[in-house]
Amino acid sequence: MIRLENVTKVYEGGTVAVNDVSLDIQKGEFVFLVGASGSGKSTLIRLMLRDEPVTRGRIWVAGKDITRLPKWKIPYLRRSVGTVFQDYKLLPNKTVAENVAFALEVLGRPSSVIGPQVGQILELVGLADKAGRYPRQLSGGEQQRVSVARAFVNRPPIMLCDEPTGNLDPKTSVEIMRLLDRINRTGTTIVMATHDHAIVDAMKRRVVALENGRVVRDEVAGRYERTAEEE
Amino acid sequence: MSRIVYLIREALSSLRRNVLIVIGAVLAVFISLALAFGALVVNELLGLNIAAWQDGTHVVAFLYDEGQNNVPVGAHESLLQEVLEWDEVENARLVSKAEAWIEFQRIFENDQQMLDALRDPTVLPASIRIELQDIRFHETTRFRLEQQQQVVRQVNTAAESIEQLQNLSQVLRTLGLGLAVVLGVAAVVLIANTIQLAIYARREEVAIMKLVGASNWYIRVPFLLEGLIEGVVGAALAVFAVWVASDNLAKAGQSLELFKLDISNQWFFRWGLLVLLFGAIAGVVGSLLGLSRYLRDADGTGPDIPKGF
Repeated sequence: MIRLENVTKVYEGGTVAVNDVSLDIQKGEFVFLVGASGSGKSTLIRLMLRDEPVTRGRIWVAGKDITRLPKWKIPYLRRSVGTVFQDYKLLPNKTVAENVAFALEVLGRPSSVIGPQVGQILELVGLADKAGRYPRQLSGGEQQRVSVARAFVNRPPIMLCDEPTGNLDPKTSVEIMRLLDRINRTGTTIVMATHDHAIVDAMKRRVVALENGRVVRDEVAGRYERTAEEE
Repeated sequence: MSRIVYLIREALSSLRRNVLIVIGAVLAVFISLALAFGALVVNELLGLNIAAWQDGTHVVAFLYDEGQNNVPVGAHESLLQEVLEWDEVENARLVSKAEAWIEFQRIFENDQQMLDALRDPTVLPASIRIELQDIRFHETTRFRLEQQQQVVRQVNTAAESIEQLQNLSQVLRTLGLGLAVVLGVAAVVLIANTIQLAIYARREEVAIMKLVGASNWYIRVPFLLEGLIEGVVGAALAVFAVWVASDNLAKAGQSLELFKLDISNQWFFRWGLLVLLFGAIAGVVGSLLGLSRYLRDADGTGPDIPKGF
């Protein structure tokens, strides 16, 4: 589903964020990217979203080489990849339902399809009764659930999550992880960057540990295990 | 269809949300287009007045009486025929001594002193009144008439004054058109600036739009509609204001005989539509300019996605 081949990312000024990383992520997998701040987790997510170009190497997402994707095709890539971020990235002037509907409106879905689909996904994330509220009227956990709903509403085959529990307390984080787990069980591939060891250890899924931009560990049903950098 | 409705709704909601910025843009377009349209109106007035001044007699040749000063009988008529054959002459007519007297009485009908002063009406000379095809030929005509010394007593021409006014008007018209162009460009730049402000105020929103896969055109269209509405509203206000001002000026200037200050409604309709069209184009072009830099920068890189790694 996602394949990285000798991917390197060097930012302007010479900072090497990702160094010769190769990964194969199968359809339906749940993969944690772990590591200290600056280890390259978020950069990997951004590269998979074509939010940054690679310096070297190639990335395939859903069978397409996105490193050679022309700019005008990037929106099509993003429509097939749901994204969840630490700071929710909700539109403040739109209600919960409108925020979720937005992802479908971009696809040009008719309103007769959008309405029921939004209702369904809000049921799934437990926010059906708050559809008319604005993001500022919701708690952090609820905002993140809206963000997950928006990412999943058009049933993308892949979801990329960058520290989705970073701003949440442990109890709310567990709720979000339950939600992501349910989504993963529908066959959606999930790649999640985190440094929340409790969650990683509890979920017992594939763990890819990064250190200074390199993959130092790749385990099926792995644990967090702090790196030397984090000690 | 639902997508079009959605985009229009987005544009209107953005206009509502950024009322102050929108008012600023509409005022900017209004002021620059009102000045530009005003310059066009002044231009038109000058054109109308030059045309009016050019219309009529440009050269008058006063003649010696026939039968005196060796002027043979029939000399006036034969000179008229000759003048009528000159290329630069549009029209010419002979005003006899008797007609000159009637004209004199008509001009001074309210001035008894003048009428009394002219005891002998036969002193008024006959004349040939000449209308030229182009005012610029007046010197040639004067020269040709002055060659007819035996018949022509004196040549008077209003052409010099008209030519001076024409030259002055030409300068004013060029300046007016230049001003209209500069102000038109200013309207485009001001709209571009406003849209840039609007998009800057909504940069986070735009980044999120890109994140969920909105294409650049999908993001652009509401901003383009916004610019279009601002341009058209500003232009409509400008046309209306200039029309009201011009109408009042025409009413106030009705008593003026030398200057015409009224412009036809057809002219206003035609040029008003063009100004509206320009406002619309300025709105769209301004928005495209305002958006281009931002979206180019944002292409493939949602500007608000965390940069840390």
